[in-house]
Amino acid sequence: MPDGASVAIPPGLAIAQAMPDVLPPIRARRGLWGFLRRYPTIAIGGGLLLLMLLMAVFAPFLWTKDPTSLAPALRTREPGAQFWFGSDMLGRDVYSRVLYGARVSLLVGFSVAICASAIGLAIGLFAGFIRLADSIVMRVMDGMMSIPPILLAIALMALTRGSVQNVILAITIAEIPRVTRLVRGVVLSLREQPYVDAAVASGTGTLMIMWRHILPNTLAPLTVQATYICAAAMITEAILSFIGAGTPPIIPSWGNIMAEGRALWQVKPYIVFFPAIFLSVTVLAVNLLGDGLRDAIDPRLAKKL
Amino acid sequence: MWAYVIRRVLATIPVMAFVALFVFSLLYLAPGDPAAVIAGDQATPDDVERIRASLGLDRPYLVRFSEWVFRILQGDLGTSIFTNLPVGHMIQQRIEPTLSLMLVTLILAVSIAIPMGVVAAWKQGTWIDRAVMGFAVLGFSVPVFVVGYLLAYVFALELDWLPVQGYTPFREGLFPWLENLILPSIALGGVYIALIARITRATMLEVLQQDYVRTARAKGAGQRSILFVHALKNAAVPIVTVIGIGIALLIGGAVVTESVFAIPGLGRLTVDAILRRDYPVIQGVVLLFSFVYVLVNLAIDLLYTLFDPRIRY
Repeated sequence: MPDGASVAIPPGLAIAQAMPDVLPPIRARRGLWGFLRRYPTIAIGGGLLLLMLLMAVFAPFLWTKDPTSLAPALRTREPGAQFWFGSDMLGRDVYSRVLYGARVSLLVGFSVAICASAIGLAIGLFAGFIRLADSIVMRVMDGMMSIPPILLAIALMALTRGSVQNVILAITIAEIPRVTRLVRGVVLSLREQPYVDAAVASGTGTLMIMWRHILPNTLAPLTVQATYICAAAMITEAILSFIGAGTPPIIPSWGNIMAEGRALWQVKPYIVFFPAIFLSVTVLAVNLLGDGLRDAIDPRLAKKL
Repeated sequence: MWAYVIRRVLATIPVMAFVALFVFSLLYLAPGDPAAVIAGDQATPDDVERIRASLGLDRPYLVRFSEWVFRILQGDLGTSIFTNLPVGHMIQQRIEPTLSLMLVTLILAVSIAIPMGVVAAWKQGTWIDRAVMGFAVLGFSVPVFVVGYLLAYVFALELDWLPVQGYTPFREGLFPWLENLILPSIALGGVYIALIARITRATMLEVLQQDYVRTARAKGAGQRSILFVHALKNAAVPIVTVIGIGIALLIGGAVVTESVFAIPGLGRLTVDAILRRDYPVIQGVVLLFSFVYVLVNLAIDLLYTLFDPRIRY
């Protein structure tokens, strides 16, 4: 600090100004690199996910062919120079299909994570704050949770025709109860906090308390939960497509590619193998990211989630 | 305690009622008009209307729902659109493979996962702990059918140790039965093992810090006795809860596992029913699985009082 400036400081503040000379500066924030070095799972998970995302976005420029173009004369070729991941029984290029398949998986994963979190947050806040609604809403959620999520998604898909939107909708509905329960739990515990009492005492309205005191505190656990939902949604999408209740066969999704390779898997295992690897790595990346975020945001959550 | 038991049993009624309402709505909302299908192509609109009235399809939603519930309570799950067989009968035929698969998976998963979690907690921070946690992340990430195909490829096709696919009924002998179930059970158990191992480790870490563990150590109890008698017993409630909740994973996973390993069980029935849009069958299977899931978790809640005498509601 230049000498000229210290003259203007009143005596009371001069003590505070002297503090840095007494205590060594705490290097808590070391920028993005420091953060990533401290939480390597975020770096690995986030990096892999980013790679998959780039691959999905730039699929047309990554030496792919049309993923739906048929070449019956060139069917079930082993992986090689012409077909990097081989070709399926209709002569379609498995490499191109797997790269384009990333689009479906990531779209479903992210959409479900966002939709389920947003809707679950709204219902959870509502149930946590309005006593009368709480018991009714939570009974309905208990009922929904008593149907295993994959079965619930299957049942919903049976009602509609297969499309990416319907898959997103079905998985979102199946995931909402878990978010609602998490948010409601957080809200109920936050309501007992002294600062909420203080806000009530000072005449803050319910909506303002929710917005200012409750909502920000739910976001941390919700973000972690959202990554797990994203991972679960990608697996569920693949399962739905694999058993024929998901995206229509014309769309190259990882589940669809595996479903088509199923009949031939004993002789041509690579058709199933490549989408399986990509799906597993992507889900692993999201899970690692979630674990890292959980540790970074609140180590105590490690037990609850 | 009896008050708690009665309260807990009564609490499942609204849950079951909701499941029933959902499953009924599934058929109610299902596309296609059964009356028009039965009437055939030649029927006039009047004929269709008459058939609809005779089937009771023109009555209000709630009336039909209560009639449906009444039939369910009598054990009548309806008739399959595709095979014309009673759904209850079809489920009965397919239930053994699914029950066998889930039972073997449950036993396998619990007997692998709990020691894994206990050892990871005991050796916290070492490479053993990291390996267990790493396995858990993998278990959550690699989908059931990927593990299934991988296992089948390595152990059945390449090494030829176990059958690739199929199911042998239990009455044809324990060994052939088990032989067919080993690979599917490992595939299905992956997520379940990860889940149980993780919660076991977390709960054990907490319990191992308690005073009574230090007391046990001070009085000279051996490491094994501390881990498995003093600590694990006190960690039982969250672990058993997760085992119960995780059955949902087994049910969902069974649908896929049975497709991969060509096991003629309820999961396979569900998949076939979806492809054929056979709504009464989908309804029956969802209803059955959900009720089983609710009842298992009810039983576990009631068992708590046995595990942990401190719990008095």
